[in-house]
Amino acid sequence: MSDPRPHLRRRLAALTAAGLLLTGAACTSTATDSGSVRVGLLVSLSGTYAAVGEDMQRGFRLYLDTHDGKLGGRKVDLVVADEGDGPATAVPAAQKLLERDQVVALTGLVGGATVDKVQTLTTQRKVPLLGANARPAFAPVGGKPRDLAYTWHTSYNSDEPGIAIAEYVRAQVGDGQVYAIGPDYQGGYDELRGFTDTFTRLGGKLANPDGKTLFTPFPATENFLPYLNKAAETRPKAVYTFYAGAAAVAFVKQYAQSDLADVPLYAAGFLTEGSVLTAQGSAATGIRNVLNYSPTLANQANQDFVAAWSAAGHPGQPTTFAMASYDAAAVLDRALTAVNGEVSGEKLNAAIGQVGRVVSPRGDWQFDPTEHRPVQRWYLREVRNDGPVLSNVLVQDLTTLPAS
Amino acid sequence: MDAYLIPAVDGVAYGLLLAIAAAGLTVAFGAGGVLNLAHGTLIAAGGYVAAATSSGTWPSLAAAVALAAGVGAAGGGVLAAATAALQGRGHLDQALLTFGVALVGADLLTAAYGSDTLRPRLPEVLEATVRIAGHRYPVDRLAVLGVAVAVVAAGYVVLHRTRAGRLIRATVDDRAMVAGIGVNPRLVDAAVLVAAGALAGLAGALTTPILGVGPHTADTALLLSLIIVVCGGLGSVPGALTAALAVGVVQTVGVTSFPALAPYLLIGAMAVVLLARRTSLPAGASA
Repeated sequence: MSDPRPHLRRRLAALTAAGLLLTGAACTSTATDSGSVRVGLLVSLSGTYAAVGEDMQRGFRLYLDTHDGKLGGRKVDLVVADEGDGPATAVPAAQKLLERDQVVALTGLVGGATVDKVQTLTTQRKVPLLGANARPAFAPVGGKPRDLAYTWHTSYNSDEPGIAIAEYVRAQVGDGQVYAIGPDYQGGYDELRGFTDTFTRLGGKLANPDGKTLFTPFPATENFLPYLNKAAETRPKAVYTFYAGAAAVAFVKQYAQSDLADVPLYAAGFLTEGSVLTAQGSAATGIRNVLNYSPTLANQANQDFVAAWSAAGHPGQPTTFAMASYDAAAVLDRALTAVNGEVSGEKLNAAIGQVGRVVSPRGDWQFDPTEHRPVQRWYLREVRNDGPVLSNVLVQDLTTLPAS
Repeated sequence: MDAYLIPAVDGVAYGLLLAIAAAGLTVAFGAGGVLNLAHGTLIAAGGYVAAATSSGTWPSLAAAVALAAGVGAAGGGVLAAATAALQGRGHLDQALLTFGVALVGADLLTAAYGSDTLRPRLPEVLEATVRIAGHRYPVDRLAVLGVAVAVVAAGYVVLHRTRAGRLIRATVDDRAMVAGIGVNPRLVDAAVLVAAGALAGLAGALTTPILGVGPHTADTALLLSLIIVVCGGLGSVPGALTAALAVGVVQTVGVTSFPALAPYLLIGAMAVVLLARRTSLPAGASA
């Protein structure tokens, strides 16, 4: 009697081989099809920054949905991967997008630490990285400065909000002193340094006892009241801060309950941006903050953007996170239009360098030729009721950064 | 001195909350011998239920507190049933089981309530502030302080003045004797776990107006409770109360007095307490 199993095994092997061939064929057919491109979107779908990641995904998809699902005349196959809480989840996800999905560009990226690690992967493979949120300092690797030829951002540097608002705060407080407080991690240092360096250079004085910003343990601090009442003893004329996410909600609510309640609060706009503003409620009213976007900007591109956002059924008003991701799609749209024939990372990267002026909901901007990040306007906003909802309402223009 | 008044009040309020949270953990360990690593999850569950129920009216607030305690008690009941099967298999198996329950519970809570930090809406009066000795202080914290004092006092009376309380204390001291007087100590264990769960749910509900409740609440609450239980002595309720008040004050007065040391202050204080207690251990062990 012959054993029937060898037949079975052979048949299985044949099936597997056929399957592999088919998958291979499917891959090659997509890659060579000049009518479609595959773009990778790496954002936090889980973890602390899931709300920001979701906003960024909505922004990118909103651009696609309002442009027939096409960028530069090519059908877009958008592959979304989870960045999680940082490099531990983000790096394998980025490798999968680059190696298995063979994306022509990688966009999204919520966290600075993620950008720092993924940037080396995309540079090695000559795939443009078009970040739409955090841009870290890019410390040198092995004594050599980073190669940033393939790294672009549609967002900002973390120290720019503070730099942009410092002069305004200086004018508001006159001879008074400002108390600076923020979270104890890299993003907090960058945000606060931007403010304190510029503010003191302009002759301003910090109310903090030793002239140094107070950094609170992060994310352990949930009770800010002791810190705030301590700060009130220095009798500051104003307070400057940066917090985001859950800490921002706790900070704003407790600020309104502290001895500082009547002292004007200035902040980097993330303090009151997006879903946290709903949670803060009326406690956030009157906070003046700085960001590169306000949903109440009067330009046509913004009105279209806000209308499309509401039409898509998204809750609340669009955020700077959604806007920067929307702009990333706009940049890819223009760059892909300029690429002839088959799309490669090198051709696309060269085209991104040539996009020129980008018409955007934040107002028109362009890439800084060496820094590869936007030269853009910064706005002063105030939390107020805009119709029935609380909003970061535009007060005035502040400055253009990076200054030329 | 004036500068320390408000942080001190704050520290006591926070400490009493932690005491309520940790009391359940320490009694469950002392009486039932159950090391309940799902304790933080029960606290978070109570917080979520309370935040979702309270809608700014007094009846909804009362319902929120009652529901939170109920959910905690139900969770305690589930844990009592689950750990009863592991009787006599040591703390490691129980720790493993309750840790698994904690992981599953945390995921279920995130799936049900999302990954944002939630806060309950309170009646207008509680959202306001009052002036104490020239400082502004939130009314909700004063209310929480009042409720916490009442709960701790009630807990003391139950533990020391009622038959149920005497049975619990007797079970901590001598299980065989409890069995000898005709009471099944396993029933006491189960009752203690249910009561501990209710306390955990209550603590969760009381904390949410101040700190909110989110994906990290369970871990933070468990860590602080464990620190308190270890510092206060395993199974000791007065010890837990003292340790909780100390932790509360360290976390408010301490961190603002020595901001540079803030991240290490709590663990540092715990190390000091353990080192100080270590010297008296041999005497206790020989007894």
